[in-house]
Amino acid sequence: MTTGNLAKVGAVIGVGQSDYVSDHARVRAGEKPHDSYGYAAIAFRAALADAGLTRNDIDGLIVGPTVAYERVGEVLGINPRWGSQADAMLAVIEACAAIKAGLAETVALIYGNDQRSAAVQYGGPEAMGGNLFLSYVYHAPWGYTSQGALYAMMFRRFMEVTGITEAELGEVAVAQRLAASLTPHALMRKPITLQDYLDSRYICEPLHLFDYCLINDGGVALIVTSAERAKRIAKKPPVLIHGVGRFDLNRGATSLEPRLLDFYRPAQEACASQVFNMSGLGPEDMDAVQIYDSFSCHVPFALEGYGYCRSGEAGRFMREDGISLKGKLPVNTAGGHLSETYMQGWNHQVEAVRQVRGECGARQVEDCRFVHYNSDVAGKAVSIIYGR
Amino acid sequence: MANSRAFIQFYDEPMWESIRAQRWALQQCDDCSQYRYPPGPCCPHCVGMSASWKPLSGKGKIISWVVFHRQYFDNYKPPYNVVAVQLAEGPLVISNLVGPEPEGGWIGREVTICYEPDAEQGSIPKVKLSAPPAA
Ligand SMILES: [Zn+2]
Repeated sequence: MTTGNLAKVGAVIGVGQSDYVSDHARVRAGEKPHDSYGYAAIAFRAALADAGLTRNDIDGLIVGPTVAYERVGEVLGINPRWGSQADAMLAVIEACAAIKAGLAETVALIYGNDQRSAAVQYGGPEAMGGNLFLSYVYHAPWGYTSQGALYAMMFRRFMEVTGITEAELGEVAVAQRLAASLTPHALMRKPITLQDYLDSRYICEPLHLFDYCLINDGGVALIVTSAERAKRIAKKPPVLIHGVGRFDLNRGATSLEPRLLDFYRPAQEACASQVFNMSGLGPEDMDAVQIYDSFSCHVPFALEGYGYCRSGEAGRFMREDGISLKGKLPVNTAGGHLSETYMQGWNHQVEAVRQVRGECGARQVEDCRFVHYNSDVAGKAVSIIYGR
Repeated sequence: MANSRAFIQFYDEPMWESIRAQRWALQQCDDCSQYRYPPGPCCPHCVGMSASWKPLSGKGKIISWVVFHRQYFDNYKPPYNVVAVQLAEGPLVISNLVGPEPEGGWIGREVTICYEPDAEQGSIPKVKLSAPPAA
């Protein structure tokens, strides 16, 4: 089958975000600094400034799933010639596709979420997302809700099949906290040890507190334009999108078969094949990896699924080769959802861009040419390679 | 907080009726014989529209398990277990293991469906170990 190629079609020329640290402190003190649209507006202004553009340069708009498309356009005064609504990773792919098709040239990708101040529940009788993912609510009669519990069940079987231990999984939380300690905008900056991890309480055993993502308010925006236009107008070195991939496992999603029996591996392998073929690159070319980490165990699943180590070896790889900024393969270099901010994958795109630009200060990966982003949220695997 | 309650959509009604009668039944495809879970309008294997409700044998084995240490529902006080069970008929279902717990590993242990009273649903299927733990 021949497919259109999105390699080096789009480039990120602007990134922006709200002030996670200050807003989180205010929310924890009982204030509500902004709603989702306010966070989106702050992030959009920051991304425009980063790109050196004005609002009128934008001719395409993609908004995240937590806000209404029309209202974001209304609030920001954007009348685009093309628009859509998507999560972080699909927004990047859709922007490239729209640019390739000539539907838009400079697309704003905008996300805002007041999930913490609005007390969004991710488990229990009012579990978020049940309208979209039946598995989030269907097993409630047995006391089984919350996405963490779904991943706990998946990781328990992964332990049985591969022999990976809780201490090996703890490498994720420890490594990402180290990264966050070097990231001024990260929320959780106090380093932790493996012993701290093992001593932390279980939420849904075998997952500990430190395996769970943060819940905080914030906004993120990216400006994506054609690679050709990026060369002409970008204020900073453009970051090219070298390849994208996607594969969804929907069959058996509620009865958890692809999750528990296959660890979503077939989706990751299909996705890896797409993204690496499109970019002409392989795992060995990646200088850093960003992994959607609502829970720490996404990391070992992805390391095996995308070929960073052999099947069944993620535990050994994390312990011996290392996934911290000091290790062989730096993962989630700003701390990810566990320690930086929970922006549902949007923050990972921003960090990938900043690493390729070389503007990450103390946490900068040396000579960072390519960064691989991937996610496997509820069996929807998506992969993007950012590079020079 | 609140009690846990079944998320009952159109095709779930007959299943919960069968559970209240303590004879948990699922749809079996008339065309390819595959069982499906959750209930639905057609067969995910062959997209056949014709199916018959068949009582389960009650046999299965544990695929994975977790223990909740956080409370999400009034009627589930932590710590409590949740197990994923592969039924002899094929589908994976979620339940709770009641009675004695396995002494060695949980995964792979044979279980049998049993029923407990439930304030919201009337009756709810649980599982218990099919044989006592090996000495
Ligand atoms: Zn069938």
